[in-house]
Amino acid sequence: MKLVSSFYAYLWPGVTMQEMMKYGNNCNSYLVANALSGNKHVLVDPGQVVNETRQKCLDRLISEMKKDGLKIEDVGLIINTHAHPDHYGASEEIRKMSGAQVAIGKEENEFLQLASGEMSQALKSMGFEMPEIHPDLYLTEGELRLGKDLVAQVILIPGHSDGHIGIYWPKEKIFMGGDLVFADSTGRVDIPGGSAEALKSSIERIAKLDIEYLLTGHQYGSPGVIKGKDEIKRNFEVIRRSIFPYL
Amino acid sequence: MPEGDKELKSAFDIAMERAQKLGGLSAEDKRRLKEEELAEVGQALGKRYLSGLPIRDVELELGKYKEDRQILIPYLLSFLVDKINLIDPDDVERIVEAIRHFSKRPKVIEGIRDIINEYQIAVEQARQEIQSELGAVRRKELARKGISGSAVEPAIGASPEWLETSQHLLSEYQKRLEGTKSPLQAL
Repeated sequence: MKLVSSFYAYLWPGVTMQEMMKYGNNCNSYLVANALSGNKHVLVDPGQVVNETRQKCLDRLISEMKKDGLKIEDVGLIINTHAHPDHYGASEEIRKMSGAQVAIGKEENEFLQLASGEMSQALKSMGFEMPEIHPDLYLTEGELRLGKDLVAQVILIPGHSDGHIGIYWPKEKIFMGGDLVFADSTGRVDIPGGSAEALKSSIERIAKLDIEYLLTGHQYGSPGVIKGKDEIKRNFEVIRRSIFPYL
Repeated sequence: MPEGDKELKSAFDIAMERAQKLGGLSAEDKRRLKEEELAEVGQALGKRYLSGLPIRDVELELGKYKEDRQILIPYLLSFLVDKINLIDPDDVERIVEAIRHFSKRPKVIEGIRDIINEYQIAVEQARQEIQSELGAVRRKELARKGISGSAVEPAIGASPEWLETSQHLLSEYQKRLEGTKSPLQAL
């Protein structure tokens, strides 16, 4: 689904309870078309190959992209906001199909290496397997230039995970936040590497940005894309008022 | 008969059979069986220690074995020494503490610590060298693909150069570590 200019959103069904039950867990994926040399695309959070309800998540993503005239073979860069398998799981599979470069936050990768045992066990107990990931590049806080025209800011937003990153596109006023915030909710902080205090700080930092499109990691009973400055401001206020006291 | 009773009876039968067998065993066999049991206790105590059991509680547990205490300690230490490795050195400080407490070989312990420290320094130096050599090349490759900026840091972790170097370092230091550990195996 085209969002704005060359930005596309592929939202995993889950706005209604029925959808959540049927489709299970997977993340929303976002794509910036023709962003790289050779008209290659940038894919943010590819999601899983197959999820816990045996939904073929990657097949669905490929099929949705096709409807927009985009091919998975043309993905040149995969950016993972964080190292949870429902976000990065299909990275290596898509690399095989496209030869794409795989990126993740540097701090997140270090944490993944250090805590792989604990993380792996904790996530396994929640029904997640830990697929392999071999990053070609790390992303740290700073400027990310893509192709000739696109400039994004990589922002470290720990809280849901230790080295979680967000991608802010100042010109387009788009923020891709992974599992930082959702509509009227936030990412959970009870997974290894999570921190309520860090999450609150990260949210306050992002709330100061000029954002027209807040692209969230999941549609947990609510829309995955929050549009409009006022609606985004309201969303941060609801989170401060209703979620912060319980974190 | 309920399944639970069957299991209980079976366990009881096994114990009875064992007791009968012991009656017919030679003194040497009895000694060997006892050694095996103590080895298992020593290992179990070692596992509990690594899981966080304080050293004073290890002492309390050992105290329950009275005259066998001195036989148990080498099994406990042998288990702990086996657990020392270069990949996951987190337990080393606790193991060193136990070795220092239960034996009097501080020089060997310092030797182990030195090797682990040297290994970590060597790995970090190698990582920096490869990062600087390979990083510049990879950065150019990424720029050709249209990926650049201050946020970009090429990863070398999966490169053949790094895998070969890290494997070489691991093998070299592993040999040194095993050589230094061997006197401790006989504590």
